[in-house]
Amino acid sequence: MAAEDLPSEFDVVILGTGLAESVVAAACSRVGQRVLHLDRRSYYAANWASFTFNGLLTWIQEQNESQTEEVRDWSSLLEEGEELLHLSDTDSASITNLQVFCYTNEEDEEEEAESADPLNTTEEEKPEEFSHDVFIRSDFQTVTFLNQSQAAQTPGEEPEAARPHPSAAQSQSEPTRKKLSYAQLVKEGRRFNIDLVSKLLFSRGSLVDLLIKSNVSRYAEFKNVTRILTYRHGNMEQVPCSRADVFASRQLLVVEKRKLMRFLNSCMEETEEQQAYNGRPYLDFLRDQQLGDNLQHFLLHSIAMVTEDTPTEEGLASTRHFLRCLGRYGNTPFLFPVYGLGEIPQCFCRMCAVFGGTYCLRHSVHCLIVDRDTNRCRAVIDSRGQRISCSHFVVEDGCVGSDRKKMATRAVLITDASVLPGESDQQVSMVTVPPAAAGGPTVKMVELCSSTMTCVPGTYLVHLTCQSTGSAHQDLSPVVTMMFRTTESEEPGNEHGRPFVLWCFYFNMADGSAVEVEGHQLPCNVYVCSGPDGSLGHEHAVKQAEFIFHKILPDEDFCPPAPNPEDIIYDGDEGAAGQEENQGEQEIYLQNHTEHNAEEEEMTPKTTKEKDKNQSRPQTHRNTRSMQH
Amino acid sequence: MAGGSVSECKEYLFKVLVIGELGVGKTSIIKRYVHQLFSQHYRATIGVDFALKVLNWDSKTLVRLQLWDIAGQERFGNMTRVYYKEAVGAFVVFDVTRGATFEAVSKWKHDLDSKVKLANGNPIPAVLLANKCDQKKETSNNATLMNNFCKEAGFLGWFETSAKDNINVDEAARFLVENILANDKGLPYEESNGDRIKLDQETVTAESKSGCC
Ligand SMILES: Cc1cc2nc3c(=O)[nH]c(=O)nc-3n(C[C@H](O)[C@H](O)[C@H](O)COP(=O)(O)OP(=O)(O)OC[C@H]3O[C@@H](n4cnc5c(N)ncnc54)[C@H](O)[C@@H]3O)c2cc1C
Ligand SMILES: Nc1nc2c(ncn2[C@@H]2O[C@H](COP(=O)(O)OP(=O)(O)O)[C@@H](O)[C@H]2O)c(=O)[nH]1
Ligand SMILES: [Mg+2]
Repeated sequence: MAAEDLPSEFDVVILGTGLAESVVAAACSRVGQRVLHLDRRSYYAANWASFTFNGLLTWIQEQNESQTEEVRDWSSLLEEGEELLHLSDTDSASITNLQVFCYTNEEDEEEEAESADPLNTTEEEKPEEFSHDVFIRSDFQTVTFLNQSQAAQTPGEEPEAARPHPSAAQSQSEPTRKKLSYAQLVKEGRRFNIDLVSKLLFSRGSLVDLLIKSNVSRYAEFKNVTRILTYRHGNMEQVPCSRADVFASRQLLVVEKRKLMRFLNSCMEETEEQQAYNGRPYLDFLRDQQLGDNLQHFLLHSIAMVTEDTPTEEGLASTRHFLRCLGRYGNTPFLFPVYGLGEIPQCFCRMCAVFGGTYCLRHSVHCLIVDRDTNRCRAVIDSRGQRISCSHFVVEDGCVGSDRKKMATRAVLITDASVLPGESDQQVSMVTVPPAAAGGPTVKMVELCSSTMTCVPGTYLVHLTCQSTGSAHQDLSPVVTMMFRTTESEEPGNEHGRPFVLWCFYFNMADGSAVEVEGHQLPCNVYVCSGPDGSLGHEHAVKQAEFIFHKILPDEDFCPPAPNPEDIIYDGDEGAAGQEENQGEQEIYLQNHTEHNAEEEEMTPKTTKEKDKNQSRPQTHRNTRSMQH
Repeated sequence: MAGGSVSECKEYLFKVLVIGELGVGKTSIIKRYVHQLFSQHYRATIGVDFALKVLNWDSKTLVRLQLWDIAGQERFGNMTRVYYKEAVGAFVVFDVTRGATFEAVSKWKHDLDSKVKLANGNPIPAVLLANKCDQKKETSNNATLMNNFCKEAGFLGWFETSAKDNINVDEAARFLVENILANDKGLPYEESNGDRIKLDQETVTAESKSGCC
């Protein structure tokens, strides 16, 4: 833990611990490159991070603090023929329009919660009273605390327009469902893992394949998304997608069931009929299949997850991808990591570290040292002013001031009930909300239950995402008001049963889908990793990482399987106690590893149905759960 | 699993962390304990996440102990959450010949407690190892001091160990496992997490059961 100097030479220096950067780090380290992986933040995973509730509150405050960058002269560290290229140290543009709303009571209503938490110590109001203060920050970000104001107030903020207070009577006439107070959210804060991005893993997508192929999967566990929902005509409906679902569905008529089965079976193969629709909207194709409104809606919005003007070939490709992913792990095509998506980059970082990668958080790169003649980056100067030479430099897009025009809109809600209560309260739901008006953005919503380890029992964590057209609050608050209840909701009589929003926050995040790996007027051995893109899956980041890896090491294997620790067998010669030498260890190790693979190929039975699966499965089916019987 | 008939053997999987400053002997202790090996030559830990030790605890209990070494992140104390996740016990190691490594013990313990907790919110059981005791110069017994330190810092206890001469390594592990087992009586893990998915062990049942239409 001691702060000491870093070695002064690495093969690859990587700044930023987002998903693509972390995959590159693991891949390089795995094949023997000396990797230095830095992040200027105090946490892993950059804009892919997940936070405890308290961690998130800190993060929100940090977003509002403007960082000042000291410019220093590093020219003394230059050698003949070199010049400096300064990196931007701040990434202020990647998160904007951050707004926080708290709708639950400050403290528990019954018992006087002892305010052990510093955030609550200044609260003097009675719990029933609501205080609504809107703070306009100097940087145009607004933070609204309903019910919880003073805590986050820092000098320099000016409370602006106060909204009317809902009457105490109204709040008391609320349903009897006991709500968690803000104090309880803070107290239980460590049991939340709130992701900045909202994505899922397609069970046959490139991230799942990579996790399996590399054995990084050993660091993570997943939950199935248990159901696909869609919001239609003011109702939440379950989308039948597997054969079992179709048969079990109570909303579908018998003829619809037949039609849907026929369609799903037939669309897997490409036909001439389909080709005739190439270039024309998928919606037209679906219409002409005489499926009816219901099925058309399910197929377009929830299964293909495309828009009304998506071309047929694209719509069909998405539909097939969805169907192919069904049943690998469960009834829907999607997986979600236990403890949140922020785990995934960290899993790759761990792999990098295990193979010798060096990690430093709160540590940045100020500038690059570029060779004038070759236009190659020879070294970097870190935030402690140390010159560290490297053959390649990989950097997150925020540090090179790449212009990111596309933004994604996000909202995260902590609610007290599921949007569609069912037999089990432990459902993970993927919800599509088609645009309210034509041309508007489709909202994707993921509702997580407590067994995903992202929220406390009795609450749900709801992630909303869409392409931004305005500020996050403008884009998403209409959807939130439509599907949830807050203390601001009107017509209180109507909305019983809708989940209540305890706390939520809105923000826009730069969408990295258009950021190029190369160019940006950077040296040729510098590669840029984009931040999270707006799509549901992880294909963008995985592709990008593989591309960068092959630029750096054209002849190396990308993420070959790491040996299973349980299979490392030390050679008999060394097995004797007290043996002083074991030089052969590394070699034996690799040998075991190859043996293991060869054996594996024989051992894994190939079924015709599962051809592609076996190619990417280096592991034996070893059961390492606790308490096997 | 619930209940399980008497004849059945209970099998536990415990993740145990081994932390402490660079060079105190973490890797050596793990190698000694798991592989009965010791090497004088310094070698950074490469390519190994954890080592597995299988203990026949008693006639009805099998314990699989995963000992997690801290890999390349150790130097600056920036371990990922992956490292801490679901650990149920820890060894904090220092080197008796280097005072500074003892100074760092509190920092490591504090870091540990801030990153991982038991399901009930308590800190995970931790044992302090005073390693390289084969090289200890003075014989003055500061046991009382160490006992007090352990109490204050929240360690279950401490052991003078030597990975080189194989002193107290098994004893320390046994002591920690006893405490983990005592904590683990309820064993909620498998029950509440039964439907978690590991990507390398695909649920064949689901595959045949549903499948696309
Ligand atoms: C990945 C990561 C990101 C961080 N980001 C921030 C940050 O942005 N801002 C900040 O102030 N501090 C951050 N920290 C520091 C850390 O969260 C501090 O220790 C925190 O201030 C303590 O909060 P806590 O006690 O509420 O959480 P803790 O209880 O210490 O939990 C920390 C994290 O570990 C996980 N965790 C806890 N117990 C277990 C367990 N038994 N099994 C598996 N996982 C467990 C939690 O889910 C949580 O994500 C981060 C730490 C990590 C490891
Ligand atoms: N004399 C002695 N040397 C030890 C002992 N344990 C480890 N060492 C030596 O200390 C050095 C560092 O050990 P290592 O296990 O790599 O430490 P780590 O960095 O904590 O993993 C190596 O040279 C070991 O041989 C011990 O018990 N006695
Ligand atoms: Mg070591």
